[in-house]
Amino acid sequence: MSEFDAIVVGAGPAGASAASRMASSGLNVLLVERGDPPGSKNVSGGILWGQELSKLYPDWEKSAPLERFISNKVTGFLTDDSYIGIDFRTKKFEKEKTGYSVLRTKLDGWLAKKAKDAGSTVITGITVDGLAWNDKRVVGIKQGNDIITSDLVVLAEGANPRIAIGEGLRPPIGDHDVAIGIKQVVKLSEQVINERFNLRNGAGMAAEFSLGFLKNGVKAGGFLYTNKDTISAGVVIDIAGLRKDNSTYSFNIMDQFVSHPYIAPYLEGGQLQEYSAHLVCEGGIDYVPKLYGNGYMITGDSAGLSFSNGMVIQGMNYAIASGIAAADTAIRCKNSGSYDLDQIAYYDNLMKDSQAIKDMKNFRGISKVTWSPMVHEFIPKFAESVLNGMFYETGEPKKHLMEIALGSLKETGYDRKKLIIEGFRLMRKM
Amino acid sequence: MNIEEKLSVLNYKTDPTYAHITVKPDLCEVCPDHFCTFACPASCYKLIDGKLNFKYEDCVECGTCFVACSHGSVNWTNPKGGQGIKYKLG
Amino acid sequence: MVLEIVVMVKQVPDSQEVVIDPVTMNLNRSMTRNVTNRADENALEAALQIKDKVPANITIVSMGPPQAETTMIECLARGADRAVLVSDRAFGGADTYPTGLTVASAISKLDHFDIIIAGEESSDSSTGHVGPGVAEFLGIDQITYCSKIEFSDGRVTAERELEDGTEVVQCPTPVLVTMLLGSNFPRMQTLRRKIDATKKGIEVWNLEKLGLQPEWVGVRGSPTIVRRMQSIKERERAKKPVTLEAIPDMVKELYEKNILKVK
Repeated sequence: MSEFDAIVVGAGPAGASAASRMASSGLNVLLVERGDPPGSKNVSGGILWGQELSKLYPDWEKSAPLERFISNKVTGFLTDDSYIGIDFRTKKFEKEKTGYSVLRTKLDGWLAKKAKDAGSTVITGITVDGLAWNDKRVVGIKQGNDIITSDLVVLAEGANPRIAIGEGLRPPIGDHDVAIGIKQVVKLSEQVINERFNLRNGAGMAAEFSLGFLKNGVKAGGFLYTNKDTISAGVVIDIAGLRKDNSTYSFNIMDQFVSHPYIAPYLEGGQLQEYSAHLVCEGGIDYVPKLYGNGYMITGDSAGLSFSNGMVIQGMNYAIASGIAAADTAIRCKNSGSYDLDQIAYYDNLMKDSQAIKDMKNFRGISKVTWSPMVHEFIPKFAESVLNGMFYETGEPKKHLMEIALGSLKETGYDRKKLIIEGFRLMRKM
Repeated sequence: MNIEEKLSVLNYKTDPTYAHITVKPDLCEVCPDHFCTFACPASCYKLIDGKLNFKYEDCVECGTCFVACSHGSVNWTNPKGGQGIKYKLG
Repeated sequence: MVLEIVVMVKQVPDSQEVVIDPVTMNLNRSMTRNVTNRADENALEAALQIKDKVPANITIVSMGPPQAETTMIECLARGADRAVLVSDRAFGGADTYPTGLTVASAISKLDHFDIIIAGEESSDSSTGHVGPGVAEFLGIDQITYCSKIEFSDGRVTAERELEDGTEVVQCPTPVLVTMLLGSNFPRMQTLRRKIDATKKGIEVWNLEKLGLQPEWVGVRGSPTIVRRMQSIKERERAKKPVTLEAIPDMVKELYEKNILKVK
């Protein structure tokens, strides 16, 4: 007889959602989090899209600690001298609020509270050391000299899953599976943020840039998200490119981004509140391990469930979706009285039909495009050159766009054949 | 602001009794690249007079070094409960 | 015979995050997260080290708002046996005098105690009054600012750090001891204990249970009031590079500004 129906390791969006859903169906659930309080080890590098959360808490928008709803999206390129961006605002975003900027200590605290209110035993400030096994089946968790037993263990450890790797439930992490995320949160008044970004009534902006100013094949994306009275500015760095170069410091890329001539003014006068770093899952569907086994399920970032196509980034939403699916599987097991492998396999079925896995399959190999030299070197340079040709007044007779484009193409010195191949790939994958 | 100044705004509960990350000095001594020094966002890995110097106290527990070291020198565990980095915003 | 040890703890705002509310001039506790006062963790560890050697019961006593429960659970998860939180609106705003009285009366409501251990002071008010105050209210001996304590044959042997050495003091029980911050390494909580503590919960005692009068406690029972509190603004540093060549000029400047005087 196990002490708990289920033990959840990690109280992030995946774990706390799983615990809450199981507990509200009457399961005896233990949720263990090493951070004290929950969220204090976590870093939000994106926007919380609420489709999944609304399945758990229909009134989440009223009670969750949200910073600003996203009313405009910016996608752009930064070169040494230029800022090229598309700034998209539409009434639709304001009417149908779907995405919010969040800070994780607040959000995760709220999620953990919800799990506790639903009846889970929530323990914070304790690091789980490993899993307890019996006859090739996970039967609980180990901490110090103790073993706590359960019929199921849900692993929701985040992007650096020590237990899943340590217990051989998933392969170690490679250069293409993750990227280095670094973030700075800068304090400014709500009013100053509204003025600088042309926002009002709780509206916010989410901006993502390709950092075309980086040299020697080093590739990184930059982001700016507005919170209530802070701005999150960060970079996501490709490890393979950084390794090949082996002379650029990751933290200097962060510095270069925030001191870029067209980014720095947004942050000017702001006081640095926090500097943080976290791995970002980038491996796509090929990085997703087997999601379940005898006595366990893997959820959220631990399972590599995260997605970016350069325009939309999904992480927390997928995590919540997988947490719900794991919970529904556990509830089904409990009701049927069987925790056999074929019962746990239900989790895999649920996930196969989920938006997360569908998106990731649909965009298989997208990271090859989002991290391509085309996106990080060619497009920024080419766009800068074309726009200079179009808008820079030289006093000479105007040229036609085609002429400018061909000239710019030459200027970038990019191989045409490669360009056609990569361009085709870009259109196809995105 | 340099990296040391940025790290100084952070709140840590340092565990003096347990280094959650350890490196193998014999491997680091002959390492041809020392990529960890470039990858680590908290500058915990530094080359001082050609020798690798590692301090776990500034670690923000991102896991980058575990991926970055391709020579198997980095042993990475989570700090014990409640110890280590304590983000107040996240 | 089982030794009865009482450990006094306090939940405090995390000292690394403390700010002062510019309007009320009080510590703004809503902005900061609460933690167990570090020196109290050392007090608990000292108690646990005694318990490692002799049969003992450790009772945690704290005064504070209901959310101090998290600190009490933490103490149980480290190895304490029982937790009593003294909590009542009437206790709010207390200075160190009624706090000592309130905690002392809670301790006197316990069946028996041999040793009381407290941290040297709390990180949020840094008075160091409450421990000694409790000893006075209870009329027992006290040994303050200890770096190490041991118990054998009904006596506590304590080492006190002095400016020019170490003083070893021996005292029969009952006695109150205050432990220096950082005098030991507090052991970790265990998951097993924390689960048990979370399920069991803590005891909460109110004013009525202690049998105290409202005018003896809280802000009404406090002889002191805080007139003013202010944040000190850090002055912008000149950021002059310190090089060997620059030192003579720096000395000269300090002399000219009358900061440095030559005899």
